[in-house]
Amino acid sequence: MQILLVGVSYRTAPIEMRERIDFSTRLKPALQALAARPASREAVVLSTCNRAELYVACESPERAKADLVAFMSAFHGVPAAELSPHLYDQLDADAVRHLFRVASGLDSLVVGEPQILGQVKEAFATAAEEQVAGPLLTRLFHSSFAVGKRVRSETGLAEGAVSVSYAAVSLARKIFGDLKGRRVLVIGAGEMGKLTALHLKSQGIREIVITSRTAAHASALVDQIDGAVGVPWEALPAALTEADIVVTATGSATPILDRAQVAGAMGPHRNRPLFIIDIALPRDVDPTTGSLEQVFLYNIDDLQAIVQENLSRRSGEVTSAETIVDEEVGRFAAWLRARSAVPTVVALRQRFEAIRRSELQRLEPKLAGLPPDARARVDEITRLLVEKLLIGPTEQLKALPDSETMTLYADAVSHLFDLDHDGAGAATPPDEAGDPADRHRARRYPGRSRAFPGADDE
Amino acid sequence: MNVVPLMLYAAAALAYGRHFARRSAGAGRAATMLLMAGALAHTFIIGMQTVTSGHIPVAGASPAVSTFVWLLALAYLYTEVTTGERAMGVFILPLIVVMQAIPALHPGHEDQAAVLHSPWFGVHVSSLLFAYASFALACVIGVTYMLLFKEIKAKHLGVFYERLPSLQVLDVMNRRAVVVGWIFLTVGIIVGTIWAAQARIIDPTDPRVQAMSLGDPKIFAALVCWAVYSFEVVALHMSGWSGRRTAWLSIIGFVIVLVNLVPISYFLTTSHTF
Repeated sequence: MQILLVGVSYRTAPIEMRERIDFSTRLKPALQALAARPASREAVVLSTCNRAELYVACESPERAKADLVAFMSAFHGVPAAELSPHLYDQLDADAVRHLFRVASGLDSLVVGEPQILGQVKEAFATAAEEQVAGPLLTRLFHSSFAVGKRVRSETGLAEGAVSVSYAAVSLARKIFGDLKGRRVLVIGAGEMGKLTALHLKSQGIREIVITSRTAAHASALVDQIDGAVGVPWEALPAALTEADIVVTATGSATPILDRAQVAGAMGPHRNRPLFIIDIALPRDVDPTTGSLEQVFLYNIDDLQAIVQENLSRRSGEVTSAETIVDEEVGRFAAWLRARSAVPTVVALRQRFEAIRRSELQRLEPKLAGLPPDARARVDEITRLLVEKLLIGPTEQLKALPDSETMTLYADAVSHLFDLDHDGAGAATPPDEAGDPADRHRARRYPGRSRAFPGADDE
Repeated sequence: MNVVPLMLYAAAALAYGRHFARRSAGAGRAATMLLMAGALAHTFIIGMQTVTSGHIPVAGASPAVSTFVWLLALAYLYTEVTTGERAMGVFILPLIVVMQAIPALHPGHEDQAAVLHSPWFGVHVSSLLFAYASFALACVIGVTYMLLFKEIKAKHLGVFYERLPSLQVLDVMNRRAVVVGWIFLTVGIIVGTIWAAQARIIDPTDPRVQAMSLGDPKIFAALVCWAVYSFEVVALHMSGWSGRRTAWLSIIGFVIVLVNLVPISYFLTTSHTF
């Protein structure tokens, strides 16, 4: 069984194409349709605004790939000829690496973005609900969650705000700690001011005071924000004294706050710092205000500069992240290899057990004379003997370094012990792949691998 | 004997450094474990000395420094465990290591003079040492406050911005440490005065007792300390006093404490020689 990935992303397809093959509104039907197709045994669909990817477990990758392209084309009504140039595909270790990189945020438009991991988790959860994700993809996706988490916690890839809005909130947090009891003063009733206020509100700020030269604009904004309060323009100095954070985004051509006004608000009675976010262009606040003792003044350029610094810091973390991905791909590949040895190991174990049983059977007349606990002891001794004989070769087989060697040895064992079983290391698909009974057996068969001793780890 | 905790503290310092530089959670946990081990070893040593001599080992410059380091390690562990913040470790541990090196390399011995057997003496020194530990914490917090403040003010957000808690949290921690320290400092000085009066009765011939006056460097420095920290405690409640200014006071205050604890104790005082 192999892992195949077929998909498009923002790297290979423009938005007009991605729109046409978006699965997100019809995810469950898509999963069911995929499951009904013979070429894929298991399937997960990852569909976000930047990518649409199909992950399947299949016996014959070439056949499956063609089938998946046909599926995507038919499902979305996009001619295959149009679709194909935008598609990419990956197999086995490459597919695993791709998914791990995606989950870590390495393949995202903004490196290290947080949403993608949640989206990958959701995609898998939906497939699991629809019972379309089997043991192979389950293991793959669970590993990808772990890799995503590792990269986020062990590298700085996901650290630092990479949008102006987040940068402002992060600063507010770094100055004031918990934002709950703080007061925000919004000057100007435009869109930018509103968005920033809403963002701050979502971070816990409870008191939002709004003022504008045009009273009507201020009240309109107050109505739009739950819990906000409006004050007249004349009350600005008092409002300034009470505020911890000031967001100004007026359309004024000249500064509305000069140094003297802010200094007045900072007055002799004030211990708290003042954080002024001036996102207006031209600037609303006199820049010399920033030199006042307890005032932190950030304009839009300053916030942008922070975003840039964080972005370049993130890109410096890419190498460490890729190293972690490499490690984890290796680990997953080892698991895959050990798994492919399982059929042979199982068959061998069954053969030895069959031999043990038949010998005990043969010796029945001689054993009949023994007391029951002696017979039990004989049974146990033979069992332990078989166990001891098997454990060495089993571990050796599972620890082989690559798939070719493993196939070679597994085939040798099959041959030497004359084992009769399906698919031991061979990559050739059974011709009856379309036979439902066969698919049922193949589905049931990998599921049993978990119950076999030594077949699972972690 | 003081070398054992010193080694553990040094290892913890390295682990905290790695935790700070590489954001390694494993290094952070290792650092806390090593610090706890060091504090445990230190507790054992001090406990043994207490049991042997009958009082906390503070009658001598070296034992006093060792006890101070012990109290500081415990105080820092307490803040780390209650706040969950490990960022301070990289700043506090070097101080601990440097200070602990003094008693480790220069063990000295405890003075057994009768005048020192009064329980007032033990309370006096322990109280002051605990105050100094608190002030040490406040100083380190003050330093980190300044570092973070500078980064935000300069709009160049670097490693301190990433690792340290907020200015607000640092300010609150500073205030708490200063207030706790001031209380113990005041108690310590008052008890010291009481003890000095008692000592005059017990053994007026001891030259150290005779030297106890405001003119003695150690006593004078202690009073200067008290003045600085009293000012800071008042300033905390005055309006217009920013976090940055109180951070500075914490730093200056502790510099005086350090001067009092080390150079003055060892070289300049005549009343506090043990």
